[in-house]
Amino acid sequence: MMATVNQEVSKELFAPADIDHSSSERIAGESVSAWRDSLRRYVKSVPAMVSTIIIALTIVLSIVGPHFFGYGIDDQNINLQNMPPKIPGLTWIPAFDGKYQGVDVYAQKHIKKAYWFGTDALGRDIWTRTWSGTRISLIIALVATLVDIFIGVTYGSISGYIGGKTDTIMQRIIEIIAGIPSLVWIILLILIMQPGLFAITVAITATSWIGMARLIRGEMMKLKNQEFVLASRTLGAKNSRIIFRHLIPNSLGMIIINTMFSIPTAIFFEAFLSFIGLGIRRPQASLGSMINEGFRVLMIYPYQILFPGVIISLLLICFNLMGDGLRDAFDPKLRR
Amino acid sequence: MVRFILKRTGYMLVTFYIVLTLTFLSMKLLPGTPFKQAQKLTPQQLNTLKSYYGLNDPIPVQYVRYVWNFIHGDMGGSFQYGNEPVTDFLFARFPISLQLGINAMIVGTVLGILLGIVAGINRGKSLDWGSTMVAIIGVSIPSFVLAAILQFFFSVYWRIFPVAGWGGFMYQALPTLALAIGVTAQVARFMRTEMVEVLNQDYIVTAQAKGLSRATVIYKHAVRNAMIPVITIVPPMTAAVVTGSLVIENIFNIPGIGSQFVDSIVTNDYPMIMGTTELYALLYIVSLLVVDILYQLVDPRMRVTGGKA
Repeated sequence: MMATVNQEVSKELFAPADIDHSSSERIAGESVSAWRDSLRRYVKSVPAMVSTIIIALTIVLSIVGPHFFGYGIDDQNINLQNMPPKIPGLTWIPAFDGKYQGVDVYAQKHIKKAYWFGTDALGRDIWTRTWSGTRISLIIALVATLVDIFIGVTYGSISGYIGGKTDTIMQRIIEIIAGIPSLVWIILLILIMQPGLFAITVAITATSWIGMARLIRGEMMKLKNQEFVLASRTLGAKNSRIIFRHLIPNSLGMIIINTMFSIPTAIFFEAFLSFIGLGIRRPQASLGSMINEGFRVLMIYPYQILFPGVIISLLLICFNLMGDGLRDAFDPKLRR
Repeated sequence: MVRFILKRTGYMLVTFYIVLTLTFLSMKLLPGTPFKQAQKLTPQQLNTLKSYYGLNDPIPVQYVRYVWNFIHGDMGGSFQYGNEPVTDFLFARFPISLQLGINAMIVGTVLGILLGIVAGINRGKSLDWGSTMVAIIGVSIPSFVLAAILQFFFSVYWRIFPVAGWGGFMYQALPTLALAIGVTAQVARFMRTEMVEVLNQDYIVTAQAKGLSRATVIYKHAVRNAMIPVITIVPPMTAAVVTGSLVIENIFNIPGIGSQFVDSIVTNDYPMIMGTTELYALLYIVSLLVVDILYQLVDPRMRVTGGKA
């Protein structure tokens, strides 16, 4: 013990450290791409994930739901009008006990089968109609949004990338369209085209692409002067290649965020139009037209508005929350 | 400033003229005749009717007459109500819709600002989380679903307010609330962001360092500054309020132009649809103009300094 303490520290014990410059440059963690990083942030957000799951469930139900009981959306049964909702096994929940003002209607009419969401004034199964209505609402929203992305991105990229006179003219056109309230556009278009699935989709698209076009134009103007575009051009890339391979992929985050906010707007407008009688034609159902039908009997049979109302509200809330989550994930700077 | 306002007003007139032309064209494109039971008339009778209403003239002549009449305040007669002038209807019903709209804007903005302040000063705490949730739900739930819920519980179930109709405070409360929630939600989200931003400014630290009370700092320094940008988002929401009022008036059976509009859509009353459309367009365009001017007054950074903005 003593020996070690007294040992002299001699010069030979030291050797020059081996400096390896590459080690200081090494990245310890696994390299994370921007997409992975966004995904990681998105998955961490509880409201966004819950919303994603709810939306996924709704989509699945809107596909399989209408086939659960084998009723068609327009199968009427005059003997079974306005049956209250009843779900076997869930009868302890007041909303699903199959009772209307304390009377068990199912027992009264000696009916074995149960209508999960009840029936409407024509004896149609509300479960079947609600989910096929959800499907129509979702299809309209999806198609309108896809067309809106396509037109908006094309228009915005051309306007922003070319710039100059083209841009000025294209922006004046947008200003005029945006100067007129979208409600006015939509109603005029639908009156001309006759209400229906196609007319609604066209009308919703006609106004919603403007927001996307403006956004993309801004992105294009920001990106087109950056070095990587210059580098690409120096290497001989054509305009189309620059737009499609460099500019649009770089603004994809923005496009996705904006899309997530256009879907709920489209769902809302479809429901709104169907509610005021300019939407889906009978006997087809959409969430809006079902809310309209349910509203007429609100005082007597409140359950008929309950299910479509709850589903549309849930869908809109979830899409908005998903949009918020995506925005935070893709662009933390915008976090609010 | 005067030049700016004149220029914007000029733009506004051009946009409105385009609306006028569009509504005229779409009226011409609409299928069917404007006459009831046209199939029962002989071609001759139909012809007499058409020439009486000037529908046999060439389209350009009709167009000039239409614009001329419009300038003189004549929007044609309603099909549904025995050719009564559309303008009379609009004048009689507009004040009610305006009242409802203004109510909703005031209630919505005040509630939204309060909610935003509460969320902003309690950032990251449960109060913030709660008011953010309220804001998201308010933005998301369609006003007609909300109106139905309110009507069911407050009028049918608890019988606190009248179910439908128009009159004093009791009648106005529910429709105002239903229409205001959307405004509240948007203002609250915006106000919260502004509050968070303002509270991070150096002058807030200075104010605190001076030993001012928390209430003074928040009210005198933070809220006042945060409110400036909020002023500018309120007028564009007229569009949302107008959209909402269409269904809200229908649900609560309020004799405003919104419910009139829905009725005229259902009954194909084209002159009424066109007249209301033009009125809505005018409202919207004017509100955009007001925003532009407000921006100028409120925020000197936005001031247009000649040339292209």
